Amino acid sequence: MKKLLLIIPVIIGLMACEDPIDVNLDEAEPVLVVDAWINNKPEPQVIKLSMTQPYFDSSQPPPVSNATVMISTSSGDILSFVESTTPGDYIWDPSTSAQGLGPIGTEYQLRIETDGETYVSQSVMNRVPTVDSIKFTFKEERNQFQPEGFYGEFLSTDFVGEGDTYWIKTIKNGVEQNRPFDLTIAFDAGFSQGGVIDGVVFIQPIQDSVNPLNEELDQIVPYQVGDSLYVEIYSITNEAFFFLQELQIQTQRDGGFDEIFTEPFENVPSNIVNSDENGAEVIGYFNVSAVSGRGRRLLN
Amino acid sequence: MRVYIITFIFGLACSVIYAQKVSLNGYVKDQANGEALIGATVLVKEIAGGTTTNIYGYYSVTLTPGTYTVEFSYIGYNSIVRTIELTDNQRLDIELETDITELEEIVVLAEDEDANVKSVEMSVAKLDAKTIKKIPAFLGEVDVLRSIQLLPGVSSVGEGSSGFNVRGGNVGQNLVLLDDAPVYNSSHLFGFFSVFNPDAVKDVKLIKGGVPANYGGRLSSILDVRMKEGNSKNLEVSGGVGTVFSRLAVQGPIKKDKASFLVAGRRSYVDLLAAPFTDGATLFFYDLTTKVNYNLNEKNRLFLSGYFGRDVFRFDERQGFDWGSVTGTLRWNHLFNDRLFSNFSFFVSTYDYGFAFGDNDLDKFDWESRILTYTFKPYFNYFINTNNELLIGGESTLYDFKPAQAVGVSDGIVTDISLDEKFSLENAVYIDNTQKVNNKLTLKYGLRFSSFHYLGPGNVFEFEPNEPGFRKSVNEEATFRANRWEVIESYANLEPRASLKYEIGKGSVKASYMRTAQYIHLVSNTAASTPIDVWTPSTNNLEPQIGDQYALGYFRNFGVGNDWEFSVEGYYRDNQNQVEYVRGADIFLNEFLEGELIAGDGRAYGLEFSLKKNKGDFTGWLSYTLGRSELQVEGINRGEWYPTRFDQTHNLKVFGNYSLTSRTSLSANFTFITGAPVTAPTSRFTQQGFIGGHDPLESRNNLRIPPTHRLDLSMTIQMKRMKKGKERKNKDELVISLYNVYGRRNPFSVFFAQDQGLVNLGNPVDTQATRFSIVGAPVPSISYNFKF
Repeated sequence: MKKLLLIIPVIIGLMACEDPIDVNLDEAEPVLVVDAWINNKPEPQVIKLSMTQPYFDSSQPPPVSNATVMISTSSGDILSFVESTTPGDYIWDPSTSAQGLGPIGTEYQLRIETDGETYVSQSVMNRVPTVDSIKFTFKEERNQFQPEGFYGEFLSTDFVGEGDTYWIKTIKNGVEQNRPFDLTIAFDAGFSQGGVIDGVVFIQPIQDSVNPLNEELDQIVPYQVGDSLYVEIYSITNEAFFFLQELQIQTQRDGGFDEIFTEPFENVPSNIVNSDENGAEVIGYFNVSAVSGRGRRLLN
Repeated sequence: MRVYIITFIFGLACSVIYAQKVSLNGYVKDQANGEALIGATVLVKEIAGGTTTNIYGYYSVTLTPGTYTVEFSYIGYNSIVRTIELTDNQRLDIELETDITELEEIVVLAEDEDANVKSVEMSVAKLDAKTIKKIPAFLGEVDVLRSIQLLPGVSSVGEGSSGFNVRGGNVGQNLVLLDDAPVYNSSHLFGFFSVFNPDAVKDVKLIKGGVPANYGGRLSSILDVRMKEGNSKNLEVSGGVGTVFSRLAVQGPIKKDKASFLVAGRRSYVDLLAAPFTDGATLFFYDLTTKVNYNLNEKNRLFLSGYFGRDVFRFDERQGFDWGSVTGTLRWNHLFNDRLFSNFSFFVSTYDYGFAFGDNDLDKFDWESRILTYTFKPYFNYFINTNNELLIGGESTLYDFKPAQAVGVSDGIVTDISLDEKFSLENAVYIDNTQKVNNKLTLKYGLRFSSFHYLGPGNVFEFEPNEPGFRKSVNEEATFRANRWEVIESYANLEPRASLKYEIGKGSVKASYMRTAQYIHLVSNTAASTPIDVWTPSTNNLEPQIGDQYALGYFRNFGVGNDWEFSVEGYYRDNQNQVEYVRGADIFLNEFLEGELIAGDGRAYGLEFSLKKNKGDFTGWLSYTLGRSELQVEGINRGEWYPTRFDQTHNLKVFGNYSLTSRTSLSANFTFITGAPVTAPTSRFTQQGFIGGHDPLESRNNLRIPPTHRLDLSMTIQMKRMKKGKERKNKDELVISLYNVYGRRNPFSVFFAQDQGLVNLGNPVDTQATRFSIVGAPVPSISYNFKF
């Protein structure tokens, strides 16, 4: 829905403008960042440890090496993540491990030891619906924002029962679409928790979310013959949904007229805690997803 | 209802006590068009005292029988002096003639020259239509709300924000009235214009403090906009053709001096001109303001007025966003006797907005939200004697909130995600007396008793306590469904109000105190107020806002004929139950909205300076406010006080108008406002390729964005009044204006975000601060206004 607000500057943004400015921000102590989004796909799983950096420092985040990283499951498995050649990247490869994430409903404990501190977190693997089909439809030009061309959409039905949350990823021609405006999450079949849309096909704007925007963020780029579209649904916990919802608010900023509708900056809520209440601060997220996916190539 | 009857009987009892005296009473009107004059002075020379006309133009002075010299005066009009032999109650309607024939003089304060000093009113800002029309305006279109922002203590978050802020209060804390009816969103085009059509507006009064007991329901201020009654003498057509929209107003008598009407409309047309370039995408607004009034007889008058307006913003034929208000007011003025004036108003007001998305009926998403209210408001104005004027009345409002009526259709499967309507009833009774103790001291004191009932039907929730600042989850077991009209929660408040004026030498000192209660809340989590903010009632989980305000001021006039006016006022406000939001609050389409809201304390204080020149070739004013506005909420900013988004340390406004020749005048205004505070991160972190901001100290509004300053100019050229020795019937003028003369990019906000493009994993991602300006260049315009 927020994507549609992007059309506002197209209509009246003639006078509005944006420009980068220099501001002096307060300095702050770096804190540990845990980036632990694990899934049940048969491929190496990565947990990244780094430190926060000053806001305008665009270099790679400083990695945190030599930590002990492990996940224990409610079925008794212990998955050891070992630091790879890339500092700060800790990897567990299911294809070489006798242990596993287990079935839907398994609960997980993450434990990280570094610098004399212990950080812990919990997650659970929730159910994920199958992607039933992908289709392309040729549409006439509807407005400047939605030009003529082939539009993709996916069909999938949310489980009956409130409280399923998902992250929907679009892979176009083998490239994961990871612009801030591509981040699409669903609460049941709708956008948010409040308006309960449960147990039905994902609402239209979510089905349409697989159509990425152009560089200027002012037009959808339709699919062309030969393009491929692969859609993945990741089950996420409700708390992870709220985390991503806030990350959306922070990152989806194109500076257009929709700035009027944006909310003030807030820290995103983390689910990693230091087992010592008075210990060092930690931020980031731990989530274990079940994944479903389906792809299709647009043919003549 | 019983209380109304008691107050009414009390009113009658008073009239018996003073029955041995006689009264002189009637209406004071403009001779040219029959419009009632609000606040005209009636001075009885023998007793060196008198009264002023009320908001309907009615006055009543009670005297012992005898012969009196009475002067009727109103600024900009020739005074009339009458010698009256008063033996019995006497009705005397007066029509005053305007004393300007050629150039319309600017009248900053449409009142008696020294009313600023003599009146007990303080913290009041008034503008009349003539003044508003002289202020250089954005795109050449004068606007009521943008004009009042040039007065001390009034501001806005910036271009593109709806509404206005008064003395550090938020937008939802202003009660905006159009002919008594509340207007729940006063903006057109995201606040660039307001719903008030200047062609239909007679009088604008903003009360920032010492609010009399007859007003209530909001913490910060009352903006009382009165519409013209319509010319009761002649048919009058006026209008304008401008850069953004055109206006047309027709007014005239239905029956001469008995009944008149006014119809005024506006329509913006950027969309029509731009249509070939925008592929069906469109943005426009229109509104219609009408009023009919009828003098049934000497004792009874009826008024019927209404407003209807909408903003429409369409992406294409099926998709879009629109919002608008409708108000309707029926008023009956009745004179019970010469000293007891009454008015009974019934009004309806609604505001709604809607979104529509989707390609066809099988795949779409429609969402509407609305507030609808019905109010009955009796009002009695009792002129006890020349030293006491009593107001007694009440107000009863039924609210119907429809937070969301929403339907999603996916591949033909319909899901209704509408939220329950919420109902509530707000009642108030009040008594307010203005007492002239002696020539120096005047007191005004009153008491308002207000109550609020949150009513069924609807689901009633209880929430589990959580760490402050975090979402509270609903206690499913405690949830129950209330029946229709079942009282779920009630609140009641006593709201004392008092002000005094004491004259010292040529000036006066004034002081006031008020307590106000606000039972409905404007829920808005965005940087500025927008058209999609939602009104919500106080409930079992959300308590009413309570505010106390203390103000002290010094008023002094200088110069020949008091043409310079000076005032300084200090205020302190203490507010309870201010609405804030939990982290990541989800305020739309959320059945459990109350779990997203948290309450805190607010305080605001400041000093307001005002210097005005009311007469002569050069007129204008300078207003400066030094202020602070803060909140303290558990769970936000470590529980410490933090500035609100509209905290403006310095707020300077200068407006001047110079009459170059009898037909040409130049106007300028300059604004300087301290940069607004925004919340900024200190650090950044990476998560799944996205870059987020982080502040370990969790400070709120810790960074000041660059200040706002702007100069606007305009020139008004009146067309020739005479043609071939004859007076032209058409009085027309050309207004050329330049907004934001030096093209300053005033920031609406500064935001912090990563680069918006695709991220190649492993490559660094830029983060930056971006200034967003709504108007970043000078905006010239020209418009043509006429009247015949």
